[in-house]
Amino acid sequence: MDYQHQTIMDLRKQLDDGTCTSEELFQTALDLAKKYQESDNSFVTITPEFKQKKSQSLLNGIPYGLKDNFSTANILTTASSNILKDYIPPYDATVYKKLKQSGAVLVGKTTLDELAMGGTGTTAHTGVVRNPWDEQRLIGGSSAGSAACVARGIVPFAIGSDTGDSIRKPAAFGGIVGFKPTYGRISRYGLFAFASSLDHVGTLTRCVEDAAIVTDVLKGKDPLDMTSLENEDLNYYEHLHDDIKGRKLFYFKETCDLENYSAEDEEVIAVLTKFHELLDRLRKEGFEIEGISFGKDLLNAIYPSYMTISCAEATSNNANLTGIQFGPRGEGSSIEEIMFDARTKGFSELIKRRFILGSYILQKENQERLFLNAGRVRRLIVDRMNKLFETYDGLIMPASGGIAPKFGERSDELSERYLLLENHLALGNFGGFPSITLPMGFLHGMPLGINLTGRIKEDGVVLTMAQKIEDVAGYRGIVAGDQNV
Amino acid sequence: MYKVVIGLEVHCEVKTKTKNFSNSINTYSTVPNEHVSTVDLGLPGILPVPNKEAVRKALKTAMALNCKNPDEVIFDRKNYFYPDLPKGYQITQVTKPCGIQGYLDIFVGEEEKRVYIHQLHLEEDTASLEHFANYSLIDYNRSGIPLMEIVTEPCISSADEAVSFLEALRNIFLYCGVSEARSDKGQMRCDVNISLMKEGDTKLGTKVEMKNINAFTSVRAAIEYEIKRQSEILDQGGTIKQETRRIDEDGKTYSMREKVDAIDYKYFIEPNIPPVKLTPEYLDEIRKEIPVLEFARIKKYQNDFGLSFYDATVLAKDRGIADYFEEVIQEGAEPIDAASWVMTVVLGTLNKLEIPLTELFITPKMLAGVLRLIRQDKISLNHGKKIIYQAIEEKKDPLVIIEENHIEQIKDDQLILQHVQKAIEENPEQVRQYIEEGKDYVKNFFVGKVMQATNRQADPKVTLELIIQELEKRKANEGK
Amino acid sequence: MIEKEKLQDYARKLMFEMSDEEYTTLQKEFDIILKQMDLIGKIPNISEVQPMTFPFVTYQQQLREDEEAQEGVLVVSEVLKNVKHEVSNQVKVPKVVE
Repeated sequence: MDYQHQTIMDLRKQLDDGTCTSEELFQTALDLAKKYQESDNSFVTITPEFKQKKSQSLLNGIPYGLKDNFSTANILTTASSNILKDYIPPYDATVYKKLKQSGAVLVGKTTLDELAMGGTGTTAHTGVVRNPWDEQRLIGGSSAGSAACVARGIVPFAIGSDTGDSIRKPAAFGGIVGFKPTYGRISRYGLFAFASSLDHVGTLTRCVEDAAIVTDVLKGKDPLDMTSLENEDLNYYEHLHDDIKGRKLFYFKETCDLENYSAEDEEVIAVLTKFHELLDRLRKEGFEIEGISFGKDLLNAIYPSYMTISCAEATSNNANLTGIQFGPRGEGSSIEEIMFDARTKGFSELIKRRFILGSYILQKENQERLFLNAGRVRRLIVDRMNKLFETYDGLIMPASGGIAPKFGERSDELSERYLLLENHLALGNFGGFPSITLPMGFLHGMPLGINLTGRIKEDGVVLTMAQKIEDVAGYRGIVAGDQNV
Repeated sequence: MYKVVIGLEVHCEVKTKTKNFSNSINTYSTVPNEHVSTVDLGLPGILPVPNKEAVRKALKTAMALNCKNPDEVIFDRKNYFYPDLPKGYQITQVTKPCGIQGYLDIFVGEEEKRVYIHQLHLEEDTASLEHFANYSLIDYNRSGIPLMEIVTEPCISSADEAVSFLEALRNIFLYCGVSEARSDKGQMRCDVNISLMKEGDTKLGTKVEMKNINAFTSVRAAIEYEIKRQSEILDQGGTIKQETRRIDEDGKTYSMREKVDAIDYKYFIEPNIPPVKLTPEYLDEIRKEIPVLEFARIKKYQNDFGLSFYDATVLAKDRGIADYFEEVIQEGAEPIDAASWVMTVVLGTLNKLEIPLTELFITPKMLAGVLRLIRQDKISLNHGKKIIYQAIEEKKDPLVIIEENHIEQIKDDQLILQHVQKAIEENPEQVRQYIEEGKDYVKNFFVGKVMQATNRQADPKVTLELIIQELEKRKANEGK
Repeated sequence: MIEKEKLQDYARKLMFEMSDEEYTTLQKEFDIILKQMDLIGKIPNISEVQPMTFPFVTYQQQLREDEEAQEGVLVVSEVLKNVKHEVSNQVKVPKVVE
């Protein structure tokens, strides 16, 4: 089997029995990173030096990619924004520190939507990220480079961040596994904040097993992140094959019932048909699955309340970007002028628009109607989810209503399909629920993803159920270009 | 005449080992950027983790100010751009401050006054800016130091009241051990809001704000100047501009900027700090640590101990001294004696030797012991003082000194009489002056002689009585 | 539709400027999101709901003990590492007028 298809455990075996060395793996990954950089643009920085601290971890000697919004001491970290294009942090994110200690080998810092604020992978200051399955198409974002380098087979895993669906959507478009554990399961210290109450750290891998292995390494209480969860005495990897019989799942009838769509929604119908076919097979394996009515009001509210909360928090979180302590210094003769100039030049248009929106939302006279109402609907949605989780073990949904769009295709943000099928993943961020996307099939030669979301702190249960889904769906370890079904 | 309405916003740095939201050291430093962490610098990716001790001290101060405490700890962000604010927002408390709706009873002169506290909240200090001719320098050492802000209701009506309040507040900080509260280090700073209204008016006048005044004397000067300035304007039928003014070294205030539209700080709850419950048990534990405060002690010293207002204030000013004083009484001394000796001997010694109370050798028990001997007339007052000073100098228990030197007072009349008679016999000239020239003061000469002869152990009262008795006897004999 | 001037004022307060066309796009965006938020306001009894800030609250988190620790603490050279203008170990900026 070639390097590109190998999972962490495949590589582990070879490293352990001496078939290859970690230097060789790194060199292979590095060559691939360079080879595909022009077509995919997965990396902001490729780190050409082999640096490894040996350990007993399963990740010892395994190459990986790290999203360029994680602080890495002495390595350029740009968040794919001009305002940080020369920023070399003096400190390590907790995630990076843990990966270094586990002996994993960094291949590069991956491209993202500028400041992680976007879902297309097209807004990085270094250009668009292309989908390795079809370079006419985007891979989605914001963890675009992390998804692309894993889908391409450059590295077996990459680290991403997820505020609305930034790991799970590109994973779906790239035919890989994207996992965002419970809020606080992995420390956010060193992750450049987008919207602190929604930001999660997670993994992009080519199989559920690898998601479990990497999460086992990354999880844990961090004194530098007060929201991080207490350590738990559970190894996800070891429990992947626990019995799932009798596990109950639900899906939203409003979104997933075929009768809600007309014939012209050809793509959606194709996606949903595959979805329901898979559900039938899962039922045979012991899952109990039912459709429930969540309430259209609440489902339609996900997108606007997500925008409201995330833009508001982002405006504040990025107020440190003034070019004074770090970043390119603006020009001007007064302090206001230099801050003004640095920010005017440093942010792209989309970012500025979101900041203005966020600022408007937080204005005293608008807080009640916008910011607080968004917080209220967030509670209604999360309460409803938690109520359902009293009966069910998980929510199962198509990750998207279609395959990865082509560049330039614009979605109508007010259409029902957009509101329902393209935004429900933010539920996982609203309530901090563990949520995983994995491949469920292909349409027009492009991968499709299925998403599973579970109760908070039950990351192990979600991974175990996902392992079963992966076994049933049968797309473990695929790489861009594979002949598909 | 106008009615003066003043509200104060007092900032005070909290004494902790580390900063409010980071691990860097909380200390006053002259070396720039020496105590800075990723958090204090507002680097991308940082997260604040609040300091338990800072929260505890803010809660404690709020309790001392009779405030209501919240049921949980929550912080908020105050968003604005300024070069001394690296994150672009300050972490502070709006939703659930450490204290609300409190009051502080103070003395203005000898008058009692209740100053109402709107709220007390915990926040973080900014970086410091140093200004030069055409540039400014930023030092982040101060960035993130825990800061309490105490906001009063607009219920203060004179410079005297304002300064008395600030002194009382500073005293609370020191009594509770929450801050050194040194204005010279900028640890305690004050914003003054002042407006004037005509007697009988119900609507408040236009508010003028004066920011960041360190010294209390400057607060007084600023208020007095503003009252005069605003009165003059109003007298001439003018209107007061809503503005921010600063005070200069000349004691005058100058306009900094007129108030344009109020800044919208876009407050929202800090999402990186999940709420932490404050249990009634935890709050009680803190409350128990609060000592009896200055105001209560002054009243107690007057009412229970019969001290004058002045003496009571001197003794209650410093918690250590007040505790010492009270312990002397507990050890059995009369309050009047304890007050007089603490104010003279103890405070005098501390001043003279420039040492803190903790380094004073004489314990309250020792002092009480000496005072008891004086009360029992076993030693004289003067002797007592001498022994105390000797004890301080030799670091020796005064009771031991007394015992070793056998310096208990001679009260035996017969023994003293022998010394008196001897002195009279040896000094016929003085006796003659007393008898023939009626020089009454000669008796003091004989007291001195007896004291000399007895190593000052003779009871002076008895001695004087016996001298008069013996001299009069001789005078009577002469006349025969 | 929200006035462009108002948006310009927000931009100014956020310390940046945008082009005219960008404001036009923004006006449209505002329209969409505000309409959607209006719908949220119409959810029955929404005003009685306590706004949510944290994904979940467990009250298990603790405040930090006030003890010296090295994590995150920087030396002066690290503080100044990314600073473009410095004078005597401090960050130099144009004169700040108070």
